[in-house]
Amino acid sequence: MPNFNIDSTKKNSFDAIVIGSGMSGGWAAKEFTEKGLKTLVLERGREVSHVENYPTTNLMPWELKHANVVPEKIKKENPIAARCYNFKEDSQHFFTKDKEQPYIQEKRFDWIRGYQTGGKSLLWARQTQRLSDFDFEGPARDGFAVDWPIRYKDLAPWYSYVEKFVGISGEYDGLDVLPDGEFLKSMGLNATEEYFKKVIAEKYKNQRHVIYGRCAHITETKDIFIQQGRGMCQTRDLCRRGCPFGGYFSSNSSTLPWAAKTGNLTMKHDAVVHSIIYDDKKEKATGVRVIDGNTKETTEYFAPVIFVNASAFNTNMILLNSKSNRFPNGLGNDNGLLGKYIAFHNYRMNISAEFDGNLDKTTVGRRPTSGYIPRFRNVYKQETDFLRGYAAGFYANRIVEQETDAIGPDLMENLNTAEYGNWRVGSHMMGETIPKEESTLSLDTEKVDQYGIPQLRINLDYDENDEKMNLDYVEQLTEMFEVAGFKNIKANDSKKAPGLDIHEMGGVRMGHDPKTSLLNKWNQLHACKNVYVTDGACMTSTATQNPSLTYMALTARACDHAVKESKK
Amino acid sequence: MKRRSVLKNLGLLTGGLMLMPSCSFLEKRTPIALNNLQIKIEEEELMEQLIAVILPEDNLKGGVSLGVQNFVWVMLDDCAEKKKQDTFLNGLRLFNTTVKQSYGDDFEGLSSEEKYTALTNMLNNESLNTDLIAFLHTTKHTAIWGYKNSEYYLSEVMPYNLIPGAFSYKTKTIDPNEKININA
Repeated sequence: MPNFNIDSTKKNSFDAIVIGSGMSGGWAAKEFTEKGLKTLVLERGREVSHVENYPTTNLMPWELKHANVVPEKIKKENPIAARCYNFKEDSQHFFTKDKEQPYIQEKRFDWIRGYQTGGKSLLWARQTQRLSDFDFEGPARDGFAVDWPIRYKDLAPWYSYVEKFVGISGEYDGLDVLPDGEFLKSMGLNATEEYFKKVIAEKYKNQRHVIYGRCAHITETKDIFIQQGRGMCQTRDLCRRGCPFGGYFSSNSSTLPWAAKTGNLTMKHDAVVHSIIYDDKKEKATGVRVIDGNTKETTEYFAPVIFVNASAFNTNMILLNSKSNRFPNGLGNDNGLLGKYIAFHNYRMNISAEFDGNLDKTTVGRRPTSGYIPRFRNVYKQETDFLRGYAAGFYANRIVEQETDAIGPDLMENLNTAEYGNWRVGSHMMGETIPKEESTLSLDTEKVDQYGIPQLRINLDYDENDEKMNLDYVEQLTEMFEVAGFKNIKANDSKKAPGLDIHEMGGVRMGHDPKTSLLNKWNQLHACKNVYVTDGACMTSTATQNPSLTYMALTARACDHAVKESKK
Repeated sequence: MKRRSVLKNLGLLTGGLMLMPSCSFLEKRTPIALNNLQIKIEEEELMEQLIAVILPEDNLKGGVSLGVQNFVWVMLDDCAEKKKQDTFLNGLRLFNTTVKQSYGDDFEGLSSEEKYTALTNMLNNESLNTDLIAFLHTTKHTAIWGYKNSEYYLSEVMPYNLIPGAFSYKTKTIDPNEKININA
């Protein structure tokens, strides 16, 4: 029998293990396999192959039985997932259903998950803004969390590296608060968005900016995209269905097939990671314990380097559940800070108005991005009674109305015609929230899920800083809308719970000091250096930018480091 | 081909004979297959009559020929909460009684003009039973929704393009003589 064990260990041994196949896991898979490492990617969900498993991607609107509304039965069974803006009849199969993984909400938190090949990279909003030093220096300057162990210059080349492969449509805006990247052609702001951009630049003397939101869509034909089998964005604006052209970036369309092509990728689906195995004698992690999602059998896989990219909260769960003699409170958790200082983006407020200019113009077609207002609050110095600030989305479109008061022949006539109204303009906030010690993730001591893994307890809420920021956003955007002559301005508190931003972060934060952080500047656990965390869990602070691009850049950088370390 | 359709009709005939000995079976419609709602054939017929009045055949195809009545049922059946379904069915069941009180006959018995007048008046009458009001307005707006979501409307009236192509989004100066396509 000992022979058998050796064989099975050998069979289950790889050069690297990556937990998760989403945005950052896909990048780890690509980097490692390209560098010749036999890499095992563990995905807890089902297989979703690019194009092949996008069942709704080419359906016409009338082919959706419920006009893209999710039936009541599915909504009732999934109150959490159903609150996500993107949970529609044509995309609901890409959302993890509530019963798959129950969790405990000490305060309400809508945890949106996408367990399948590619994870949430199939469903993301594709906005890709770089962080700047105003973000990396934020905690140190403003005295919260801990200092980031990296600065913009450490990540800048990796942003470029990632952007060239992903394909980012953008404009060179030359802003210090939102550094430029490697951009493909812009799909453009429309006439009213351009008007707002100009008015704001003039009125605020170039201290506030409205720009074209940089997004992960291919808008130029380049060799690197052809090699990936990806084509130009066809502006269908149906991204949530999965793109048959690979027009937007997802792990499914890009990094995973790229990794597979090397011959070095082993991909396992329905592989729910229970914990990471730590060897007290070797003083390092040696592998991963995996539960088969169907048979519930446990298998162990081994590798000298392990990347945890399970999505921010699942990464915390796995580390908390990885207990050993050396680490009784979770892997790498010597200081007791694992699962603490989590944060998110505050998307609660939005504002809408009308504009009665540009009435000789309209837009045609659909566009998968919109305008973006980078953070302008507390950038160069503290100027308000709250910390940090917010970015904002901005969009304008011409109102097209059809009269439907009548019935009969008059209605039929009206349905064959339409009239232009004013422009409708709108904005939503993306506020930075402060990671605090009392914002925590922990494992419940009694309740377990269907795999016997302790359920996650989430304790996170808005705070006074967020409330003040909400008011300021409404005040400032109202002023900006008034400056532009917009009418009928209405602010709205969506009252949405944290989680629906789908930007949860932290719990395994990076920092200089093992006493106050979990990860070092290379995303290695301070206390277990062959384990890296490069998804949202690693974030020291949240900044205001959509974070996926940063996770990808951090992942590529960490992979490079891991390979160099292994050669030493 | 002919032989096949003859066989098919034969099958229908014998099947029908076995199930319904009445000789009016040929006029009977197949009930719509719903998951939750229990409705009678007459209620389906009433819905169809309402759709015919709301969205009549005109220069454009009418709602009934596009099956809008089925869309209304399916949406109500699968996508409405229980409370809304109950309100809707209650309103529907009050409809003909109310029509009879004002117009002396069931909706079906009225002339086309009378149907149009009756429905227009009822849609504008705020003193009716609240369930009946909810039923009428839900029917109307769901019917319009279904019509605008039909293949015909999205292909021939206001064409929808599934794959507009690269860089198809742009600002354009409006040509006042050009028909406005709400799906452009």
